[in-house]
Parts: sequence; structure tokens; C-alpha cells
Amino acid sequence: MNLFRTAFAGLVLAGACGTAQAKPIAFAHGTTVMAEYGAGTMNEAQIFYAPKYFYSLGAGYLELESDIDGRRREITYARVNYLPKRWNLEDAQANVFVWGGAGQAYMSENNDHTFTWNAGGQIDYETRRIYSSLKTDLYRSDAFSHRIDTLQLGVAPYKHDIDTLATWFVVQGRNYTGGIHDGIEWAFLLRLFKGSGWIEAGVSDDGKLQAMAMVNF
Amino acid sequence: MKKIIFCTLALLIGAANAATIEMKVYGLVCGFCAQGIEKTLRKNPATADVVVSLEHKLVAISTREGQDIPDAELTQALTNAGYDVKGISRTQRSLDDIRAELKQAK
Repeated sequence: MNLFRTAFAGLVLAGACGTAQAKPIAFAHGTTVMAEYGAGTMNEAQIFYAPKYFYSLGAGYLELESDIDGRRREITYARVNYLPKRWNLEDAQANVFVWGGAGQAYMSENNDHTFTWNAGGQIDYETRRIYSSLKTDLYRSDAFSHRIDTLQLGVAPYKHDIDTLATWFVVQGRNYTGGIHDGIEWAFLLRLFKGSGWIEAGVSDDGKLQAMAMVNF
Repeated sequence: MKKIIFCTLALLIGAANAATIEMKVYGLVCGFCAQGIEKTLRKNPATADVVVSLEHKLVAISTREGQDIPDAELTQALTNAGYDVKGISRTQRSLDDIRAELKQAK
């Protein structure tokens, strides 16, 4: 937890301020560092390096805490991300990403560690005024199975360019399986980015902080 | 015949001295796109400077004195960066002119 908070604070202080959507591959020969604080239910930090524009390699840390019974998972993993399809349109871009990885999970209910694997995917469509993305993340082991599905819809009040600050208003719906959260968790976010950094913050429907920071270099 | 040779030479010389290459690129929707493209193009030793405009779907390069980058190499670089090149032209306007025009258009 301390490690996550330190990483998150570091990213924010690094000047995180872009694409309108978090993507596991930013650009060829680029490194992406991301940290997310998800309303106390989910915290995640990731670092990926992309040798090519269509794949990246890296590692992550995911912390899940059930707001039903207090169970906690602390998952560290190595992962490969792959972009099987991209559509470059005149004023838009759409992508299909898939990923998979493996690692170790700590389970608080029996104070034990276990092998875990993960797989997921994302489809997105983005212009400079609107975007939408649907992401699914599955984490499994012999002892648990958690899937996190995230829908994001965003609108920008103006078109940004590379030398102007991008501003987005985002609605996020997230569903957890495996006893982490009951029902869909909604959040309303303000997202800002310029240059190589991005920061967003908002509030979930139960009044908790939702925040994310990302830097690409 | 002399006229044809003269015109051909003039075109060739014009192309060889052209300092600015302008590309129309599809898929440019974000600053990170621009960042990746700039990073890729600046690795080319013939590149002097790069300008990217999301609004105009434009990627412009100025080349170093007496140097040029073939169209095929540019297309490959942009494709490898994950974008689609829809057109390449060589112009006489400088990147400063382009920057000024982009600023004025805002």
C-alpha cells in the first residue's frame, strides 16, 4: 500500500498532466508509467516499454480490497500487451488491445501467497471531442477469480492540439466480480493532459476519491 | 528536347533542395500520437526539425542542408509508429512559416 501511494504521488508530482484514453501501448520505443487510485476498492501501478507500436512488455501491481467483507488481494505480475488491430481514420482512431501475464498474489483471508495469471482486453474509439472504451481484466488463481470490467465515456469541451491542454469530462462505470464490490461503481472524472503527462481525478457514486496519473516518455 | 531536359533537371534540383516535407497523416487524435511520431522522425539523421498538427492532420519535417528522406522511408517510419500516411509533398515554406500559419489559424 505504501509502495502504491509513493508511486502515485511521484507521478502526480512529476507533472502529470496525450491520448484521451489510457492505453497499454503509447508509441514505439516509449515507456508508460501509470498509477490509479480506484475509490479505495482498487489500486494499480504499471510500467510498460513498447519495442514496437503493436506490443509492450512490463510489470504491474494490483491491490483489490473488498468493501463487502474486507478481503484483500495484492497481485504483482509481468505482462505482455498486444495491439492486433488499429483503425486510423481521418479524424479518429480505434484500437483493439489484448494482454496476458502471470505473477503472485497475496490473500489476506489466509495470509498466504499463490500463483496467479491474468488476461484482458480493451476496445476503444476516440476523436478529439469524444471517446469511448470498454476494458475487461481477469485475474485468476486456484483460490480466487476476479474480473474487472470498465466502461468509460468522455467528452471534451474543445479540441486540443499538441501545444494546448486537453480537458475531458469522463463518466466511468466499473463492475467487479468475486466479492469485491456489490453492483456497478460509477465515477465522474475530470481528465487533463498535455505533452507527456496526464492526470485525472473525480469522485465515485459513494463519495470516494478516484484518481489516476500517467506519464509517457 | 532541350526544354524537356531543362524542365526535368529543374524538377530534380528543386526536389533535392526542398527543405520541407509535409505529410498528411490519419489517426492523429492526441498529444501522445505526436510525441511518438516526433521521436521516430528525429532519429533520422537527415531530420532537422519536426512539426505536428492534430487539427490539420499534418506532420512536417525540415531536412538538413542538402539532404532528403525518400517517400518510402517516411511512409515506413510513420507506419512503424502506428499511423497511416495519406500524402507526401515537398514544399518551399519553412517550418517557422508553418508554425506561424498554424498559430494564425487558431
